[in-house]
Amino acid sequence: MPNRPLAADYRDARRLWAGRWERRGLILAIVAAIVFPMVAGHNALTIANLTLIAIVGASALMILTGFTGQISLGHAAFLALGAYTAAVGGQAGLPFWLLIPAGGLVAAAVGLAVGPFALRLEGLYLAIVTIGLIFLVNHVLLSFPDITGGVGGIGVPMHLGFAETEGSVLTPFSETWQLGGIAIGFEQKLYALYALIALATVLGLRNLALSDTGRAMMAVRDHDLAAAVMGVNPARTKITAFGVSSFVAGVAGAMFAYQQQYLTVEPPFNLLLSVQYIAMIILGGIGTVFGAIAGPVAFVVLTPLMEALGRQLPLISELSSSQQSTLLFSLLVIVFLIFEPLGLYGVWLRIKRYFLAWPFSY
Amino acid sequence: MTDLVQLASSGLALGAIYALIALGFVAIYRASKVFNFAHGDLLAFGAFAMVAASGIGLPWPLALIAAMLATGLLAMGVERVILRPLVGRPVFVTVILTIFVGYLIRTAILLIWGSNPRGMPTPWEPTATVEILGAKVLLGSLAALAGAALALVAYFLLMRFAKLGLAMRAASADQESALALGIPVGRTLGLTWLIAGMLAALAGTFLGMFPRQVEVNLAFVALAAFPAVLVGGLESALGAVVAGLLLGLLQVLAQAYVNPLLGHFGHNFHMVFPYIVMIIFLIFRPYGLFGEAEVKRV
Repeated sequence: MPNRPLAADYRDARRLWAGRWERRGLILAIVAAIVFPMVAGHNALTIANLTLIAIVGASALMILTGFTGQISLGHAAFLALGAYTAAVGGQAGLPFWLLIPAGGLVAAAVGLAVGPFALRLEGLYLAIVTIGLIFLVNHVLLSFPDITGGVGGIGVPMHLGFAETEGSVLTPFSETWQLGGIAIGFEQKLYALYALIALATVLGLRNLALSDTGRAMMAVRDHDLAAAVMGVNPARTKITAFGVSSFVAGVAGAMFAYQQQYLTVEPPFNLLLSVQYIAMIILGGIGTVFGAIAGPVAFVVLTPLMEALGRQLPLISELSSSQQSTLLFSLLVIVFLIFEPLGLYGVWLRIKRYFLAWPFSY
Repeated sequence: MTDLVQLASSGLALGAIYALIALGFVAIYRASKVFNFAHGDLLAFGAFAMVAASGIGLPWPLALIAAMLATGLLAMGVERVILRPLVGRPVFVTVILTIFVGYLIRTAILLIWGSNPRGMPTPWEPTATVEILGAKVLLGSLAALAGAALALVAYFLLMRFAKLGLAMRAASADQESALALGIPVGRTLGLTWLIAGMLAALAGTFLGMFPRQVEVNLAFVALAAFPAVLVGGLESALGAVVAGLLLGLLQVLAQAYVNPLLGHFGHNFHMVFPYIVMIIFLIFRPYGLFGEAEVKRV
């Protein structure tokens, strides 16, 4: 039985949550998201926060690589820019609600500056130039230790208001609040904030995928010359994709900075981080909104499991825990790329079709 | 003057290694349009294999051949087992796949040989020098130049005159037509990877010599060679060699002459400088020195 009415007209096809089951699933997800911080322990909350950050970061890469088809290995550079904007701004006493979008804007400015290169370069050339972007950004960040802390790193204070108002009514964000006898700790507050940002990002991504801009991106991905013939402006589409993607990546970077509370340049902002994000969107299903959620969730939740598994396996247990998870993830991604190109989205489609056609096999 | 000769010799030696690395990339790219991100890890594998081969008592030239063959066979295996099933899928997928294959090889190296750096065995004293124009030049640098030159000449002769080279060129021009003409494209691809793996092992051997050591992080040198591949043009073997030599020179000269000018910003600037040059170069010639602009058809 179909779970949604047939799309009879154009407006139907563009509806955000089309089916009955999708709407029920959304309500269920929202309820789960609200209940979760009340029952979860410290570790589970940290993992949840990292997942939310990864969802925002993966959405950014999904726009650029999944929708527009521009292979970027420079994702870590945009994350680094957002994170360091938050850190440096925080040291200067600026509040977090200003710095999270500011991180996005700084990254977007660099993204828009890189965009024009994307017009000249295609495929592999672009991928390698964006690797250069990581080196450049990291070099600049390390070269001004007075501002960025250099190799030693930098703390990321999270202010609720401007530093001048400190000592008045406003307390720093990291303090525990008492609301009617319920203590709300830093992790819980971060979770609430990040859940809202992640929800907004995913809704934005979904809207983008349905809008003319999003369809222009996919047309450019599939064949940019054909898209140009159809009246899409590939240059403008690619630059838009770079701008939007790097903005969202900068936001994810700022979120990461507040979650970590202390930043160094390398690690985490190296090629491996870019590659991990690519692994996430491949794992989730490239070019789909579903994949921008499922990939990061699978990645962040599976990492501790992979490390636990790695400790059990004979040879692999000699490696460090991060090497174990990298190894097992490499294997997982390779298997997915060979056997299930659409990733978890492909698996989900198959399960859905099976039940839609039940009791028939097709 | 002496300084300049000294720098030029070490720059050219580094450049020769870059040229070998770049040639490995280009060989695979021409044959299958795959950019092999695992090449750096093959290089590290080759260096370790060389250490291991001399460790069991093989004389140096035999050890080198054994290491090259081992690495070549590994590359061939990667192509056969992991990349062959992906023929016909978007290139993006294959390219991303090679990144993860690289991680697998790196973990394999760590599992087999551990993470301790070792010295690369050489038939001469590792620190031996020769005097040229008043400058002391490492014998290892000269060997790198000579070895690279030999390998490059052999590669060009193979591509130009051998039947295998002809098959490779045909397969890279159009796989389907090549198949229709009775060229075993699969086997040709495998042999291309074998050659690329052998080039990687050779580069790894020279790279691991004094003043550097053999360690897993040798793989990152391949990242530094990317500008050479792109500036030379992904399709062009000659471009890769020329750009590789230039890259080595540029990097060493920048370290000596540009870094001090920039004060604090100049620390390690020579590692970034080639990328800056590459980006500026690609604005004006997006297809590299000798690459060809693709004609797009709808």
